[in-house]
Amino acid sequence: MKLALVVQRYGLEINGGAELHCRWVAEHLKQYAEVEVLTTKAADYITWRNSYTQDEEEVNGIRVRRFPVARVRDPKRFGRLQEWLLHHEHRESDELRWLDEEGPRAPALIQYIRDRKTAYDYFLFFSYRYYHSYWGVKTLPRQSVLVPTAERDPVIGFRIFQDLFRAPRAIVYNSVEERKMINDVSGNQDVLGDIVGVGTELPGRTSGEDFRRRRNVSGPYILYLGRIDENKGCHKLFDYFLRFKRETGSEVKLVLAGTTVIQIPSHPHILYFGFLGDEEKFNALDGAELLVMPSFYESLSMVTLEAWALGKPVLANALCDVLKGQCRRSNGGLYYETYPEFREALALLLSSSRLRRALGENGRRYFEANYSWDVIEKKYLTLLGELEKERSG
Amino acid sequence: MTPDKIEIDYDHIDVAQIMDQIKAKTAAEAGSEAPSVRTEAAAVPELDLTAGLGKARRLLLKIMSPFSPLIKLLVLPVDEELRQTVLLLDHANRRIDRLEKERRRIDRLQEYTKLLHHLSHNMVVEMSKLKIEEETLKTKTRILEKDFEWLGKREKALEEEVLK
Repeated sequence: MKLALVVQRYGLEINGGAELHCRWVAEHLKQYAEVEVLTTKAADYITWRNSYTQDEEEVNGIRVRRFPVARVRDPKRFGRLQEWLLHHEHRESDELRWLDEEGPRAPALIQYIRDRKTAYDYFLFFSYRYYHSYWGVKTLPRQSVLVPTAERDPVIGFRIFQDLFRAPRAIVYNSVEERKMINDVSGNQDVLGDIVGVGTELPGRTSGEDFRRRRNVSGPYILYLGRIDENKGCHKLFDYFLRFKRETGSEVKLVLAGTTVIQIPSHPHILYFGFLGDEEKFNALDGAELLVMPSFYESLSMVTLEAWALGKPVLANALCDVLKGQCRRSNGGLYYETYPEFREALALLLSSSRLRRALGENGRRYFEANYSWDVIEKKYLTLLGELEKERSG
Repeated sequence: MTPDKIEIDYDHIDVAQIMDQIKAKTAAEAGSEAPSVRTEAAAVPELDLTAGLGKARRLLLKIMSPFSPLIKLLVLPVDEELRQTVLLLDHANRRIDRLEKERRRIDRLQEYTKLLHHLSHNMVVEMSKLKIEEETLKTKTRILEKDFEWLGKREKALEEEVLK
């Protein structure tokens, strides 16, 4: 079987979201099928400016074909258009204009898919909201498998996406909540699908002590991993954490790791270490009392799964239904909607190492049962097997 | 009932149950945070000047009565000062009472503002959720309309086929 995985960006430097999800799936499926990746030459998700020069290359044993982005994105113009569409009655053509503006507009990629449809058995499109997925699925619906990685974002209500979710042969969902949302939005219950998600690459050994020594961190700390951004709920996290410190006099520190787009409050107990490599990231997780996830919109939250994989509990924002659902299903973390709930939940977690251990253990079991690579690979293979059966039958 | 301590069954951790207890605790705290001003009035012993006049006292007063004009003359300035002080104290007490009343009113107002803030925050959250829900419902309606339209067309086509 020959598979093409289509994604907006691809590379070892790209460390998050759907792109990393796609890379890991590609690297794990290559033992069962011939896998190629079709992507753009962009590295920056704000402008989609062409950064990669080569048309073809090998990345970790996967052949990657790159296609140029025909037009860079103007973030301001795109933002204005999106804002207008979300608040005014509009036509489908306006939404297609929005899709063009959002990009990454790579018509050569779509042309390649059209021309080489017989060269591949299935095309797996990652991230429903981008140009490549919409036009790719529309071009070859009967050979398409969509991995939407959808968050509870208002653009999912756009008319163009109703058809998109009904068009592919199968859909690979990340969570129960994502599946329900997409079913509700598009009425696509008839489309074959499964909740699969993604696993994670765990290092053989982790050491919180190494992290503490290297970064000179003493005492207990809670960890936030990811982009430090308002959309990720970081403003609220800072506010709640500082109030918690003021009211309880706790010695706990907040350690932040990831790229930042907002100002981080200057406080001796808020420590920012920038972007961490995989090894150090897992060491930081190992040394933490818990992982805090304040994000409002998540499709899966890979860092939450990584925390559980290491047996660490999670404190999550309950206003994100995916995070709340995962915490309840796994019994691996507590959640909060308001400051008093944040204070009580955090105080409870910090005061009881037994509770932290029990939640972490539940999380680890949940991760192994649902998100270990064996399980993920098996789910992909079962789904593709069903498609093959339909095709031959 | 306010669960001061969260009860956890460590053998069968149930996050939903822990969160219910946390929610109940925070809700109870929000309810009881209204200012419970305890007016611990200082127990001031009342003085009964007429009580306890014993025989000795009456006798002493009788002996001193010829000198009473002189005593009054000597004591008058002190008495006046005392009266002024008592008056001042009374005035200050009344002012303190008024301020205490005002403080309680401000405390209540502050609590009310906090609740309003909380309410508006929750309303914003709920409105955001409703907005998404509205979009979803709109979308569903559009799908149904399209399906309905399509069924209409199909019905017409079938009718034509039947009537041919």
